[in-house]
Amino acid sequence: MNVLLLLALILFILMSMVGGKKGIRSFLALFLNFGVIFLTILFMLSIKNTIIVTLIASTIISCINLFYINKFNHKTLAAFVSTIITLAVLVLFIFIIEHHAMIQGFGEEQEEEINAFSLYVGIDFAKIAICTIIMGAIGAIIDISLSISSSMNELFVHDPSVTKKNLFNSGLKIGRDILGTTTNTLYFAFVGGYLTLIIWFKRLSYSFGDIINSKTFCAEVISILSGGIGVAIIIPITSWISASIFLQKREKANHMYK
Amino acid sequence: MSPLYSQHIRNLFSKQKFNKLSRKQIFLYILGICCLCIALIVTNHNYSLYKKPIAEVVKTNVVEKNKSADLNHNKDTVYSQEIVAKIMNGKYKGRLIHLENTYSYSGAYDQKYTVGTDLFVSLEKNSQHVLNGTIEGVKRDKQVTAVAGLFILILLAIGRKQGFYSIISLFINIVLLIGALNVYLALGNVSLLAVCIVAVVLFTVISLLLVSGNQEKTHVAIISTLIGTFVALLIAYIVMQLTDSNGLHYEGMEFVTIPPQKIFMSEVLIGSLGAVMDVAITITSSVYELYEKNKEIAHKDLLKSGKEIGGDIMGAMTNILFFSYISGTIPMVLLYLKNGSPLGYTFSMNFSLELIRALTGSIGIVLTIPITLYLSILFIFRKGNRK
Repeated sequence: MNVLLLLALILFILMSMVGGKKGIRSFLALFLNFGVIFLTILFMLSIKNTIIVTLIASTIISCINLFYINKFNHKTLAAFVSTIITLAVLVLFIFIIEHHAMIQGFGEEQEEEINAFSLYVGIDFAKIAICTIIMGAIGAIIDISLSISSSMNELFVHDPSVTKKNLFNSGLKIGRDILGTTTNTLYFAFVGGYLTLIIWFKRLSYSFGDIINSKTFCAEVISILSGGIGVAIIIPITSWISASIFLQKREKANHMYK
Repeated sequence: MSPLYSQHIRNLFSKQKFNKLSRKQIFLYILGICCLCIALIVTNHNYSLYKKPIAEVVKTNVVEKNKSADLNHNKDTVYSQEIVAKIMNGKYKGRLIHLENTYSYSGAYDQKYTVGTDLFVSLEKNSQHVLNGTIEGVKRDKQVTAVAGLFILILLAIGRKQGFYSIISLFINIVLLIGALNVYLALGNVSLLAVCIVAVVLFTVISLLLVSGNQEKTHVAIISTLIGTFVALLIAYIVMQLTDSNGLHYEGMEFVTIPPQKIFMSEVLIGSLGAVMDVAITITSSVYELYEKNKEIAHKDLLKSGKEIGGDIMGAMTNILFFSYISGTIPMVLLYLKNGSPLGYTFSMNFSLELIRALTGSIGIVLTIPITLYLSILFIFRKGNRK
């Protein structure tokens, strides 16, 4: 028996026991997501414009995680629109940062691993770096936007006469409450993967200057920080879009009533 | 969502204050922006702090352009670049240096340099009149400072007080992690896993106390986080023993300086901690909020609402972990596949460890939901203030 299969089986049993039908859907979504990432990589082998591939992949991933797990309604629609806008802003931001910080491809710490390969493979690794950072943060971004839009919907249902400004402010408040734990989740997930790198730096007695200018370290720090920025900017974006979509729905209903 | 959960959310709204910026806050923002500006100016002019010579590119010129094709028929273009740069520190400060650089369209392990880039260089001593040298690396400190500064500003502007607390807790976690690794390297003969277990306890206690204060629900969250993480780790360990680590490819691990088996477990432990804490805190806050609002609430109803909230967050939390682990492998997988490695081999070399990490973390997340739920209810009903 393979470690992966056995762990996946245990996870499946736990998710269906704890979460019921929704748990099973969440489990399947994990595999669909993995499938999307794998297909994205295959497409990137032949399609030059990898940023477009990344944007299409993130759209599909958002659809899976919002509409498949939680069904299509105006809550998930608001979250979907906000996620796409945030990702587009983030792509632009990372593009600028990447251009200045030059963090694409592989660092000298990885030399041993890559020296067996031909490195002139005809893929622009600067764009791949953007894709990597976006994919690293997409889970957290979707999570925050859905939490905000569904909580705002609860308020809207209980107080249908709420003004747009109040609804927007409530969205901000909810977002702030989950901001800290989500940035923490991202931090630990990234650091967990790079414990070896930190020990490597210490073992080979890198100076502070060596570390802060090394490509591998900078790529890592910029990934965490860009994810954190994405998680923060989606709060006002979702609050505003949800408020707009919910109120538009109310106006439509009022119009029909008259 | 259950009506009880809605009640909880409605209460959240009624408590809110639509505060405007006070004079103190404006002062703090201005102070923050000033600090950022100073940090940026310092990192832009810190050349004298470095012992290695640094040169700023002033002129570049492409002298050669060749089409290349490798054994797998990958087409690329390789450029040769002549660079004139000005030395910014050391005894040759102010003099020009000539450098050569080769870069490709792909830029997997090379880089095109443009005017204004700061480079670490090594000087060739033998030449008298014209300085020659080789490029050692790029100076990236100001870019990292700029992104970090922007991150802090955005978090403060959007998150206000909560943003401030998240930055503080992030900072403490970074210091703790570096401290733990220093202890590990200084002691020499203790296992990394043991150090990480101690660190995990500290991380959990400090982060959760900082996020939600010293109260009963925080204690419940701390206990549940620790149980959830360690049980998940134990499950992963047992599975690996049962299957003789079949399917685990430690060869795919990067930056390894010590036996990979030992370090892998520690990575799994730290990696899932953030997500597990998040789950524990969401469940305890919701359950306690429900109880505070309606002290007559039945045991059964509390359990039912808690389960519903758990089901809602489970998918999202497992996804966060999954994406942050898998994303890092994308460049390496592309390199493998472009070099003609078979799909199965590429998959097992790059994805197996990451997937095991993600699966173990997810098991931790899912386990923590019922653990937190039952513990919260146990604590609430133990208090005896219920008839």
